[in-house]
Amino acid sequence: MYGRSASQLLKEQASCESGQLTVFNNEAFDRVIKECDEHHLQLESLFSASDVADVHSVETRKLMEQNLDVRTTTNGEHLGAFIHHHSLLRNKRCLMAYMQNRAEIVRSLRWQLGPVLPEEIKAKMSYSEEVYFVDHSNAIESYMSEMDVDLTADMVPPKSPSVQVKVLDDIGDVCLGDHSISLTKDSLHSLRRTDAEPFISQGLMEELLD
Amino acid sequence: MPGYYDMDDILMEDEPISVVFQVGAHGCGLLDPGSETIDIEKGMKMDLPYWLAHQLHLRQAVSISVPASFSQKTRKEIQADAACVDLKGRCPYFYELGCKIAPLVGDKTIGSFLLYAFTDRYKEMLSKSHGAPAVTRFSSRLTKEESQLFEAARSSMAAFKKWRTGGSRLEKAAILGRKRKRTVPLGPSSP
Repeated sequence: MYGRSASQLLKEQASCESGQLTVFNNEAFDRVIKECDEHHLQLESLFSASDVADVHSVETRKLMEQNLDVRTTTNGEHLGAFIHHHSLLRNKRCLMAYMQNRAEIVRSLRWQLGPVLPEEIKAKMSYSEEVYFVDHSNAIESYMSEMDVDLTADMVPPKSPSVQVKVLDDIGDVCLGDHSISLTKDSLHSLRRTDAEPFISQGLMEELLD
Repeated sequence: MPGYYDMDDILMEDEPISVVFQVGAHGCGLLDPGSETIDIEKGMKMDLPYWLAHQLHLRQAVSISVPASFSQKTRKEIQADAACVDLKGRCPYFYELGCKIAPLVGDKTIGSFLLYAFTDRYKEMLSKSHGAPAVTRFSSRLTKEESQLFEAARSSMAAFKKWRTGGSRLEKAAILGRKRKRTVPLGPSSP
């Protein structure tokens, strides 16, 4: 309560290296939402408790006789409601920041890994994040096809049109340009930069230096 | 200026501050994990996170005392040798919290104290970040703000050295991590 679970959720995300995703913590997320409901209930009950003190009740008449302002005795309820209200705001902020920071990382995945995500990363995302990734990827692709330019090529300024690569994993036969190449493990090739770039960023090939 | 979604700002506001309630509050006894009542009495002392202490202070419902990280004891330690003080252990958001707390407790000396601590530690940071490997004893004493600076200096130095020696420029995406696991099983394992 009072923002502690929400902080734990955020600390978990902050504890991994920047740019990495942790597994989407559904449990903690739902727990924070339940706490918000509880805060809300307490808020309602405190408001109705402070409304009960009206002019006709016996206690308020006694207080008025003792010259005490009726409002100071309900200040306790108001302060309690204030604390619950701010806990709600804090929980909301933590949940929003959690989603927002993860969404940023999901967006950057399209630029780093291309339109298809590896299984190990998909497993860390929630269902709505996967949908978000697909929608974002489609938006980029439709823009690129309309402009007829591949924005994800040449993420690093190119020095030469071709690179020497060594294949790290069996990829099989790939059609590059007008001919197909058989990419077997530990084979060496000289490919165009733009063709080799997506394979290298996925970790399937590595660049060879002279 | 830190934004609504800034993780560092949110985590900084979670730091505990010791407060004394000037007014009673009903219906939120669980605020203090050890308490047995559901009401808070006037004069009760407890540790609240900064975000709540700040709001209650604005409403004049609590009085805030200077946190331990800015006490005379810490100041003396910093004056003796700033670079050796383990600020990360005391308060990982030392500078940010100090800036926010100073107007609340009305202490005008916190600002100059923070500046002095930072400039002293910065000398060490500058020299260590350009030579040392990633995690050293010194870097484990740095606050969050300092370690971001340290990391920026270290990584730009590493990038420069790599450029000098002509390292590979096309790299595997950072998010994939170092070990590549095979997701497809190779077949029944041999006995």
